[in-house]
Amino acid sequence: MKLQVKLALYNTLTKVAIILFTGLLILLSIEKISYNHIEVRLEDSKEATLGRLSTGEINNFLNSQKEYTDYNILREEFINITPTKYNPNPSNEIKFSTESRKVDNDVQIYRILSHQFNFNGHTYLLQIGEAIESVEELKSIIKKFTLLVLFIALVLTLISDLVFTKFLLAPFYKIIDRKLIKVNDPMNFDYEKIKTTTQDFEMLDDSISSLMKKISNLFILEKQFIANVSHELLTPISIISSRLENILLHEELSEGSENKMHASLKTLNRLKSIINSLLLISKVENNQFNKADVVMLAGVIKEIHEELEDRIIEKQLKFTNHLKYIYSIQGNRPLIHTLLFNIINNAIKYNYPKGSITIIDELTDEVYSISITDTGPGMDQKQIENAFNRFEKFDTDEKESYGLGLAIVKSITSFHNIKVKVDSVKDQGTSVQLIFNRDE
Amino acid sequence: MNVLIVEDEKGLALEVDEFLSHEGFTVEHARTKKSAEEKIFVNNYDFILLDLGLPDGDGFGLLKMLKGLEKREDAVIILTARGAVDDRVLGLEQGADDYLAKPFSLSELLARMHAITRRKHRLESNDINIKGLRVNIQNRTVMFNDERINLTKKEFEIFNYLVLNKNRVISRTNLTEHVWGDVLEINSDSNFVDVHVKNLRKKLSQYIPIDWFETVRSIGYRINI
Repeated sequence: MKLQVKLALYNTLTKVAIILFTGLLILLSIEKISYNHIEVRLEDSKEATLGRLSTGEINNFLNSQKEYTDYNILREEFINITPTKYNPNPSNEIKFSTESRKVDNDVQIYRILSHQFNFNGHTYLLQIGEAIESVEELKSIIKKFTLLVLFIALVLTLISDLVFTKFLLAPFYKIIDRKLIKVNDPMNFDYEKIKTTTQDFEMLDDSISSLMKKISNLFILEKQFIANVSHELLTPISIISSRLENILLHEELSEGSENKMHASLKTLNRLKSIINSLLLISKVENNQFNKADVVMLAGVIKEIHEELEDRIIEKQLKFTNHLKYIYSIQGNRPLIHTLLFNIINNAIKYNYPKGSITIIDELTDEVYSISITDTGPGMDQKQIENAFNRFEKFDTDEKESYGLGLAIVKSITSFHNIKVKVDSVKDQGTSVQLIFNRDE
Repeated sequence: MNVLIVEDEKGLALEVDEFLSHEGFTVEHARTKKSAEEKIFVNNYDFILLDLGLPDGDGFGLLKMLKGLEKREDAVIILTARGAVDDRVLGLEQGADDYLAKPFSLSELLARMHAITRRKHRLESNDINIKGLRVNIQNRTVMFNDERINLTKKEFEIFNYLVLNKNRVISRTNLTEHVWGDVLEINSDSNFVDVHVKNLRKKLSQYIPIDWFETVRSIGYRINI
């Protein structure tokens, strides 16, 4: 769940809780207060009734030991005196209860005061009631009102919270999006500050920026180091290889020594290839190439096919070029050549004899893609993931592989903004797809 | 023919010197831009092997100065560890005749120098005669008694390179690099050079015995004359 939604939800819930709590409090206190009022009034009328016992109508009823009941016009109040069993010492306590009484087919709820008293040697039960319908009504009104307020408050707070937190968190999401999600290379990091008045976000922004700065400095350092080391190594290699070649000119050299010299030259050559590959990668990553050429991909593939024809024939591979489109990209021609060369060379290298290599292309509204599919031993998921790492190599018939071919592919494709997709099925083959964005 | 090596790495300069002297060249050294300038100003050279990164300045400056001199035909081959394509283009644009990235093999250097010599001086005979076979570098053909031997482009390259470096074992690695260029990650140990050599020998042997075309076991090939 998004932080924004969580915050809004939390705010809403707390507000609902507060409203519910106050609503309940109000309801309870209203009941208490109004009952209290009624009871005070009931006690007053008890006193008045007891004072009027010896006079008037009540007296007649009492004298004849009959029950006396009197309702007022609206039946909101009643007085009822019932003779009961004689009790010489009636407890003087007053009891309150809430009961419903049926008066002329009309049920009313009353708050009733009950009190026993002795009069002229008899014991009576006095009950004075007051209808509490009005209180109940008030309670239900308040209930409804509370519910309504609750609902409105709920909706309002939810909306306002969502809007506000959205506004509040906008810089945060912007930071996440621009500074973390969209960054795939610390070298191209956008150091522009995201506008915000929230101090925490400023801090977050600054911390990410300074972290990136550190990372990219390390990157630059590493790249420079590789470039310098590689460059500095080339001259000594040159000297050794020249020296070995000169030694080979001496005719008195034994056959064994001569073989060793040649083996050393081969090793030096390998060293040279590795260094040149690393130099190429670091130059590509340092943007030391321009992208000024218009490169026609089908033409480059045709060229590579011619260059590699020997190897294809040697391995008896079936090479099928199914390219349908003449598609050109803006880029660096030698690099694109190297890119496709490495992929096709791999398709040859990691293929079974008499296998096949198929090249197809596809054009949609957004992208142009080329797939190069071989019928080699294939890779599992883990191998695919590692395939683009430097010095990663797999079993091959051929003795020398430096494991830099796909690392070069990786650097060239990211330099040109080309997507690479590798699909592979163990023992069936590998398909490398290059996806070119048509917008570029 | 005289050669000026402009190279601050003494070790490398000495090796190139030894090799070229062995091939019959007269060799001089210059280790700084300044001393190179003096030498170039005083002498004509058939070849100037020019390192771009000199302790007291850029090799391009020397090239510019040389091109500014009148009546000079010194051929310039740039030798540099700066393998950048831009450097190559700039060097050739400024009048260098060729460009070799370090580390290079001395036999490759020699082949390049031969190629330049033929181009520049239009030798009266462009043909190299070897055991009755006439190798014409301009037309890239090999003839036997006015009959053209039908070689593919790569077969010719291999033959030509071996002829230029006659009496020397040329390794497969070296041949691969010469014929296919400095392609990264190409497998130098693969025997696909052998396929071409096999075809080449088959074609040549239809005309003359080729016992002089030697296969040096596990290393490469040699043409003995």
